Amino acid sequence: MSVAQRLKQVAFLILLSFYTAFVAGPLFWVTTMSLRTTTEIAHNPYALPETFHFEKFYKAWVNSNYNVYFTNSVIIVLSAVVILTLIGGMAGHCFARYRFRFRRFLYFMIFSTIIFPPQITIIALFQILVEYGLYNSRIGLILVYVAFQLPVTVYLLESFFARIPSDLYDAARMDGYSEWSIFFKVSLPVALPALSTTVILNTILLWNEFLYAVVLIVDEAKRTLPLGIQQFMGDHLEDVGMIASGLMIAIVPVVIIYVFFSEKLIQGMTAGAVK
Amino acid sequence: MAEVTLEGLTKIYSGSHEAAAKDVSFRVEDGDFMVLLGPSGCGKSTILRMIAGLESITSGILRIDGKAMNHVPAKDRDIAMVFQSYALYPHMKVRDNLAFGLKRRGFAREEIKRKVNQVAEILGLTPFLNRKPHALSGGQRQRVALGRAIVRDPKVFLFDEPLSNLDAALRVSTRNELVSLHHRLGATMIYVTHDQVEAMTMGTRICIINLGRVVQIGPPMEVYRKPINTFVASFLGSPPMNLLKTRLEKAREGQRFLQLGTKSISLPERWFPSTMEIPREVIFGIRPEDIFLPGSAPSYAIPTEVEMEVTAVETLGAETVLILKPDDLEQKVTARVGRDVRTHRGERIKLIFDLSSAQLFNPDTTEVIVER
Repeated sequence: MSVAQRLKQVAFLILLSFYTAFVAGPLFWVTTMSLRTTTEIAHNPYALPETFHFEKFYKAWVNSNYNVYFTNSVIIVLSAVVILTLIGGMAGHCFARYRFRFRRFLYFMIFSTIIFPPQITIIALFQILVEYGLYNSRIGLILVYVAFQLPVTVYLLESFFARIPSDLYDAARMDGYSEWSIFFKVSLPVALPALSTTVILNTILLWNEFLYAVVLIVDEAKRTLPLGIQQFMGDHLEDVGMIASGLMIAIVPVVIIYVFFSEKLIQGMTAGAVK
Repeated sequence: MAEVTLEGLTKIYSGSHEAAAKDVSFRVEDGDFMVLLGPSGCGKSTILRMIAGLESITSGILRIDGKAMNHVPAKDRDIAMVFQSYALYPHMKVRDNLAFGLKRRGFAREEIKRKVNQVAEILGLTPFLNRKPHALSGGQRQRVALGRAIVRDPKVFLFDEPLSNLDAALRVSTRNELVSLHHRLGATMIYVTHDQVEAMTMGTRICIINLGRVVQIGPPMEVYRKPINTFVASFLGSPPMNLLKTRLEKAREGQRFLQLGTKSISLPERWFPSTMEIPREVIFGIRPEDIFLPGSAPSYAIPTEVEMEVTAVETLGAETVLILKPDDLEQKVTARVGRDVRTHRGERIKLIFDLSSAQLFNPDTTEVIVER
C-alpha cells in the first residue's frame, strides 16, 4: 500500500474515532453516571464508577414511580406500533396493488400531512381530544401517535409493496387464495425488511416522544417515561445521578428492540425477497 | 382435463379506447396443446389472463367444459398457470412453494406430502425440496414453477412465455421436456409465446394473433404452408418468406404470368381460374427454402429459372443463405441453399424457384389469393 493510501486510511480512522466518541461518548457517560451516586458525580463528573450502585435502579423503579412510567410507555408504544404496522401495512398494500377511485387523491392527502410539525397541530389536537373526552387518556395518546406516524409508515411500506412483482400475487390467486390471505401469507412475509424498518422507526420515535405526551397527559399515573425523566429536572433539585439511572431504564429497551429487529431486517434482505 | 371455448372475447382496459383483445374466438379441445403466437404487445397475454381469471372480460363468453366462467374467480376455475418470471414465493422453501396451492384446497397433510414428493420426483427436484428459491438456478426455478402447476392436477394448464428467461441451450431441453410432459399427462395446455420455433415444435395447433385479433388457427404445418395473409407468411419461418411486388399480366390464350422485374414467370395452372382483373399488382410469396440451385430442386417442384445478382453470402455452417437482387426490382430475395455452394458478391447466378409452394397475396388486403 502506498504512503498516500496509508495516510488516507489513517485520516479516515481518526475521523471515525472522533465521530464514534462524539456519538457514543454521551451514552457511555450516562451509563457510568447511572451507577454512581449524585455526590460521587459532583465530586468527579467523568470518573468511572468505583462501586456499582445498582440499587439506584431499584430506587428509581419503586420510589420515583418509574415502574408506572415504564408500564405506560410500553402499553402506549406497543399498541401504537402494532396498530401502525397493521393499518400501515394494509394501506400500503392497497395503494401499491389496487386501482380505485380517488387513489391518488387519498395518497396525497395522507402524505401531505407529513409537512406539519407537531407544534402546529398540537393546539387543534388538544381541542379535539377534549371534545371527544380523550384528553389525559392513554387511548387518546395512542390514537394521536398512530395518526401522526401513519403517513411515513404508509409511504415506506407502499414503496416497498410496489416493488414486489405482481406475478407473485397472480400466482397466489391462481393457487386459490383470497385477497386477505394473500396479504397475510404473501405480502407481509415478503415485506419483512420494510416492516422491520417501520417497527424500529416507530418504536424509537414514539418511545422518545415528548411534546404530545407532555401536553396531552396530566395524570401522574398515566405519564410516559420521557415525562418521568423530565420530572427529575426542575421539580426537585437536579438529581443528576437519578436522572442518569432513569435514562438507562428508558434506553435499554430501545436498544434491545433495535438489535433484535435490525437483525431481522438484514436477514430479510439477504433472503432475496425480490428476484 | 377439459375443453376451453372462447366466444367473441373482448378486453378494453378502462381509460383506453383501443381494445387489447378484439372478438377472440377459438376452441381448445381436450388434450390439445394450443399455442398463442404473436409479436410483443399483440394481446396474447391478455387473452391468457382472461382465461385464467386474472383479467376481467369486457364482452364475450369464456367456457370451460361448456360452463360459462366469466364471473367465476380465478381460484375456482381449476386452472394452473406457469409465469414467465416463475413467481415463486421467496420466503418459502421449494416444498412449501409446491404445497401452497394444495393447502388451500383442504387436502390432508399426508396427501399433500405424497403429491409434492411425487411431482418433485418427476421433475428431478427432490434434492432441492428444502431450499429457498434464491438458492436455485434459473432452470431449477422454472421446474419448481412447473411443479407447482402439476401438483394441483388442474383441468387446464396455462403457460405465459415460460422459456423466455432461460438461456438458449436450456430453452431447447426444457421445450422437449414440456412436450414429453404434455404426452405423459394428456392435459389441455394453452401456451403463449412470441417465438415461432417454440410454436412450431410444441403446438398441436397454433393460433396467430396480431393487434388483438385472431389471424389464423391451424396445425403448425398448415399455418406454415398456407398462410392466410402476409403477416402470417412473414411471421413464421426463418429467414422469413420473400414477399415480392410483382405484376400479374395476361398473355394470349388466357395464360397468366408474373412480371418479376424484367423476368416473366408463367404461373402454374392452379391460379388460372382466379376472378381478379388483370393486369394488376400482386405480392408474390416464396419461402427461402423453396429456392434451389440448379440441379437441387426436388421432383415435385414446379420449376422456374431466375437469374439474379448475388449481393451477400452468409455461410452458416449447415447451410448458406444467399441474398440476391433480381434485375429491375428494388427488393432483395433470400434463398437458403446447401453448404457447399461456391459463389461470391457480384456474381450472377441462376436459381430455380419452386412454384408448387408459392403464394400470391392481394397487396391491398394483404390476404392470400386462394387458388380454386
